[in-house]
Amino acid sequence: MKILTTDPVTEADKVLYQRCTLDLATGEQRLQDLPCRNLEDVLGGFGRSFQDLALRKIKTAYCDENPLIVNTGLLTGSSVMTGMRTYFSGYSPLKGSKRGLPAAMWSAGSGKFGAKLKWTGLDELVFEGRSAKPIYVLIKETSDGPLVEIKPAEHLLGLSTHAKIMALQQDYPDAHFAAIGPAGENWQQNYMGAVALSTENQLRSQEDKCRFAGRGGMGSLMGYKNILALVAQSNDKLKPLSPAVKQANLNVIKGGGSARIQPLSRGGGGGTWAAYDVLQAFHAVPLNNFRPQGNALPEKLFRENVEPEFEIKSEACFRCGITCHNNIYSKNPDGSAGKFLAKFDYEPLNLLGTNLGLHSAVEAAGLIQLADNYGMDAISLGVTISYLLVFNQRHPDRPLLNGATFGDYAKIRELVIQTGEGKRPEIGQGSMRLSQGLGETDYAYHVKGLEIAAYQPETNPGYAWAIAGGHMSMGTYGLLTREGKSDIDSWVKGITEEKLNIVGFDMIGLCKFFDIAKGIGTQMVVSCLKSELGLEVSAETISAAVRTAFLRGLALELRQGYTKAEFCLPAEVSQNPNPHIQLPSITTAEFMAELSKRVWNRFEPELAGLLPEID
Amino acid sequence: MQITVKLVGPLRIGRFKEQVCEYTDGTSIQAIVDGFEFRDHLLRIILINGVHARVDARLQDGDTLSLLPVFDGG
Repeated sequence: MKILTTDPVTEADKVLYQRCTLDLATGEQRLQDLPCRNLEDVLGGFGRSFQDLALRKIKTAYCDENPLIVNTGLLTGSSVMTGMRTYFSGYSPLKGSKRGLPAAMWSAGSGKFGAKLKWTGLDELVFEGRSAKPIYVLIKETSDGPLVEIKPAEHLLGLSTHAKIMALQQDYPDAHFAAIGPAGENWQQNYMGAVALSTENQLRSQEDKCRFAGRGGMGSLMGYKNILALVAQSNDKLKPLSPAVKQANLNVIKGGGSARIQPLSRGGGGGTWAAYDVLQAFHAVPLNNFRPQGNALPEKLFRENVEPEFEIKSEACFRCGITCHNNIYSKNPDGSAGKFLAKFDYEPLNLLGTNLGLHSAVEAAGLIQLADNYGMDAISLGVTISYLLVFNQRHPDRPLLNGATFGDYAKIRELVIQTGEGKRPEIGQGSMRLSQGLGETDYAYHVKGLEIAAYQPETNPGYAWAIAGGHMSMGTYGLLTREGKSDIDSWVKGITEEKLNIVGFDMIGLCKFFDIAKGIGTQMVVSCLKSELGLEVSAETISAAVRTAFLRGLALELRQGYTKAEFCLPAEVSQNPNPHIQLPSITTAEFMAELSKRVWNRFEPELAGLLPEID
Repeated sequence: MQITVKLVGPLRIGRFKEQVCEYTDGTSIQAIVDGFEFRDHLLRIILINGVHARVDARLQDGDTLSLLPVFDGG
């Protein structure tokens, strides 16, 4: 970026970002230094991409006019801890309104690709149209600025995400990579393709330890465009730590922002896996398609019950001191670590384990790695399969597909493989389409076409207003369980004020664990922006820009045909309340109706004028 | 007073899962928590008989006190 001001608010146009627009049909490209329109543009990520998506009228995700926008955030590639995020944006093949229009979507991931991309000098790639043949795109740092080249990629076809990255590493040993898997290649049948992002650990160990931009099928959109991978080749450009950044990084590790995510050995909570123990105390761990039974089954995947048989290593993204990854290895007879099996983050572990009726760590690990290798979003995959398993349970006389039911690992595994290979569009196209086709939508656990995360909807009415995935774009998932809030005032305030701030991390280039409780409108971020980039902006102004970006996303949902009635939870939640969840009931039809009225009363006046007029 | 104390997740490490503990009447939750010497930031949720409570809430003989760590998803 070229920063020619200290004031990114009143002089946003003096902050310029470098974009490469690549026409995949013709190979033509245009490099531009573009002035930012506002602080959302400056911050980057979806704050910028959604403004550009809003300029287009898109009726179907798989069309030449739907771009794939790959960008970074203001602090991606900086010395600020967690500054490694890459964002993929476009109109989603998966998430869409009942009117049949695709929703604008972004998905974010860590790994080192984002930093490497930033260090090439490029801030944004916009892919227009589609290539006739499979390609990968090389983005290379040169003395004359970033160079973008299209390369043939037939040799990568059919390879797993990890295998693609390993193959490309042979040719570009100093680069990092973003790759789709077979799921994204089979975009017609699979709308939940993810983008894998390479990590230092992966390239060093040759073990498949990618991070993923999984949500909303951005990998499928990439597959539609026939882009199998991106290669970012640049020298590392980390500045020495300034006192301000050093202090911020220390705060991240020790100050509470992420301390609870730290490894157990450092006195932390042990990564996101710890959610199992907490939610089980309320019998709120999703089980058998989000129907906890008030029993101890989820405890089989508690860390304390897995640890005796496996080696668990706490590992981290590049230069990140949070160390939130729990990587699971088989244990050798001498007690040392054997083969790498999978990463046990809470969402994939639950949704490809307990929520499918699978309670063995080996089985869950097997499915997690399959989903990663095929390049599928673990959340959408797991939730769509769990829907299918309920259907088969309810209809033993006319089971679907291979007749899999809860706990049948062999058949579930077969479904995962077939879905990844594009042979099961029933699953690959997500739970909304599958449930509508079957005429049984009440127990399909999606909101607005996007499968929900591994938090019971009974604990999170805020899902309804999340704009890009239930827990990552609306931070209300702990408001009841963690904070004990069950009154409507707290929920209105949570949804319309405090908890939407979580999306700031999907603009600025930092991971949510930088300060998940407070967001990016903090003195810590203010100090980092001043120190790293010479920008002077207040915490309040940053928060206001985050709010505007969120509201723009909401306005864009409405423009894509969503009715207010679609901002709702799966019907089963209120129609058949689960008696086993030991928390106050806040998802009755009456509560949700009142919440909806008050949330929209708050949001609606602010939506006017956020989107440009388009024909 | 007798209080059943339940510890959840990493709070159990080196301690216990569930135990009936004897405290003098009027012992505060804060004093009980302090006695465990949890690492900073780890304790977040306090339940008395399954209901969310604050650290300054009063305990009664026979109560169950659950102490849970904070959690975040991802």
